[in-house]
Amino acid sequence: MKTRTMIAAAAILAAAGTAGAQTWALKAPIAAKPAFVTTVGQSADIEMVKVLLDRSAVPYKANAQATAGELGASGAKTLVVVLGGSTKGLGAAGISADAEIDRAKALLAEAKKLGMTIIGVHVGGEARRGQLSDRFIQAAVPACQYVVVVADGDKDGFITKLCGTTIPIDKVERISKAVEPLQKAFK
Amino acid sequence: MAPARTARPHRLAVAGSLAALMLALHVLAPAQSAQTPLNLYGRGATGANGVVAAAKPDASRVGIEILKRGGNAVDAAVATGFALGVLEPNASGIGGGGFMVVKLAGMKEAVVIDFRPTAPAAATPDMYKLDERGRAVGNASVEGGLASAVPGEVKGLLYALEHYGSKRLTRAQVIQPAVDWAERGVPVTVNLAQIIKDNFGKLGKFENGLAIYAKDGFPPEVGDTIVNKDLAGTLRLIQAQGADAIYKGDIAGRIVAENRKRGGILTLEDLANYQIKVRKPITGTYRGYTVVTAPPPSGGTHVLQLLNILEHFDLAALGEQSTAAAHVWAEACKLVFADRSKYSADPDFVKVPYAGLASKAYATTLAALIKPDAVMKNPEAGDPSKYESGSTTHFSVMDKDGNMVAVTKTINMFFASGVVVPATGIIMGDDMDDFELKPGSVNSIQPGKRMLSSMSPTLVLDPQGRPFMALGSPGATRIIPTLAQVISNVIDRGMPIQAAISAPRLYQGRMGNLSMEGRYSINAYNGLVALGHTVTVSPDFDAAFGGVHAVLFDHAARFLHGGADPRRDGQAAGY
Repeated sequence: MKTRTMIAAAAILAAAGTAGAQTWALKAPIAAKPAFVTTVGQSADIEMVKVLLDRSAVPYKANAQATAGELGASGAKTLVVVLGGSTKGLGAAGISADAEIDRAKALLAEAKKLGMTIIGVHVGGEARRGQLSDRFIQAAVPACQYVVVVADGDKDGFITKLCGTTIPIDKVERISKAVEPLQKAFK
Repeated sequence: MAPARTARPHRLAVAGSLAALMLALHVLAPAQSAQTPLNLYGRGATGANGVVAAAKPDASRVGIEILKRGGNAVDAAVATGFALGVLEPNASGIGGGGFMVVKLAGMKEAVVIDFRPTAPAAATPDMYKLDERGRAVGNASVEGGLASAVPGEVKGLLYALEHYGSKRLTRAQVIQPAVDWAERGVPVTVNLAQIIKDNFGKLGKFENGLAIYAKDGFPPEVGDTIVNKDLAGTLRLIQAQGADAIYKGDIAGRIVAENRKRGGILTLEDLANYQIKVRKPITGTYRGYTVVTAPPPSGGTHVLQLLNILEHFDLAALGEQSTAAAHVWAEACKLVFADRSKYSADPDFVKVPYAGLASKAYATTLAALIKPDAVMKNPEAGDPSKYESGSTTHFSVMDKDGNMVAVTKTINMFFASGVVVPATGIIMGDDMDDFELKPGSVNSIQPGKRMLSSMSPTLVLDPQGRPFMALGSPGATRIIPTLAQVISNVIDRGMPIQAAISAPRLYQGRMGNLSMEGRYSINAYNGLVALGHTVTVSPDFDAAFGGVHAVLFDHAARFLHGGADPRRDGQAAGY
């Protein structure tokens, strides 16, 4: 009985140790509040990222179809781009994939011009990858200063490779686990 | 413009059957599926006594257990139907409706039970404010209270049970598996997890949805379970009180209150006045087989119309996945959809020329419009009157006695209106979006009218008149060509039912691009582009192309074969 208790206690300690052992690629906060959230690919994943920012105590404005002109007026200091495409979302928005990439490029360029920090978030997992999504990811990630990914969406290392050695990338196992790195990213 | 190709190797390794292996030989597009990783194994099932093919394996097993306990095919279908409302909550349930085709062994003619929702009494043709693209402002025909019609599911399923069930099992016994699943919790599959993620915003908008379909404020992950105690309670009331539990009393009051809180116009009178319609099926033939399907406002007429046109072409000789065959399919689809948008609506409100639409003579005139070397750019509806004489789920049940049931039911979009009625677990449908939102169409909104549907539960009898196949599919307008393709795969190509379901599909509306799944032959793709078709390549297994669940009776072997769709979570069960 005593042995069992000890084994259980050791297991709990080990699990706690593992849970607390995640080290983050981003070593210091880089982003100022408030944030502006948009999609690059019109996926519904923006709704989950909004919850993540709520949990991270980051105030934000959100517009899935934001234009470059909106950024300056928003007063936001950080642009959060939700990565991944959705055919249904593009259809609902009434825009083509090419037009969405043009919108994203203009938005990212404007954010840089305004001195905003850009954070990319991919929470859609493996299903939010493939030909359509990868075009959007490819267009947006190089402009980011930090990327947070639910690990399942980067099994093939595609996003890691895009980040290279200059853009810190942190991976989490579940969407809910993305709260911590996002919290740490904001000052 | 041709879609981009990739050099990503196709996924032969995951093909679970020889048929699927053969079908996967040509890959045009990379995999991007809501079901990644795709499971092709174990979708089909066989049995000497009975087979149920449904969109969830647990739902199929519910039906089989009912058969084992002495129930007939209708008992099994009703039990499966209630269970699917729990196990596949995104697709169908108490807040929606559907169509059921029943042919018991002793019946001379099949019967169609129409439990499609109806527009509320206060509905008007111009009830939605439309934007410049003709869509309801604020997505009001899809989300929120104004999207919901008067649901028909409970009255429809219980009517079937009372009139065509075996009477060997009680209503409570037939509904009990659904109660158990609601209590025990529904397994979150890859497919369901993705659907919840995609609809997370909608479910959150009306508060109550996330209380059931979220875990700690986020979408549940694969392997989690979704417990719905409120829905279990509602089902228990139906066990005790029958349809009155939903259409009168406390739950009706809750439905109306929540609907109106979310901007809707439902009243207690709407619920109390809802009636199912028992319709005569529409019947035709395809190469000697008899096709029995649901008439308007269902889409079965157009399945038959499409098959009638295709009968003028020797599809077997044209070759599997050939340019010529795909061209014929695409052109025939254009003609069918041109007619559908002009003529099809609720026959209780509009005179639908469905006998003409389904006539062989009319199909002959349409088939003559299809040229082997030309692509129709702007197909117009024909004139069938001269030939006049007279997000969904589908499941099929057949048993050894030849009883056949095909049921297609829906709450419309995945997770429907997003409105969950507090303390009931009921998701209200958004079927109003299936009306034409502008006045002036045969399918415009009128009080009490049923909206046009593509749902087409279908039975097929063999040339000897024996029960042969029960099938149907979700998939909006894609249902019509999808079912015709599966029927053709079986009859023209002799495919086993599972291979016929798994085979790559194409879709062509009246206008717009021809879309085809990524496994379709590269030669056909090139040939179609050369002919002048604009082709969009979809993922290899694209859930948008439907989810066919079918049972086929092999009379020679006295064995039933069930097939289920790998594009969604389908899996058949048999014994």
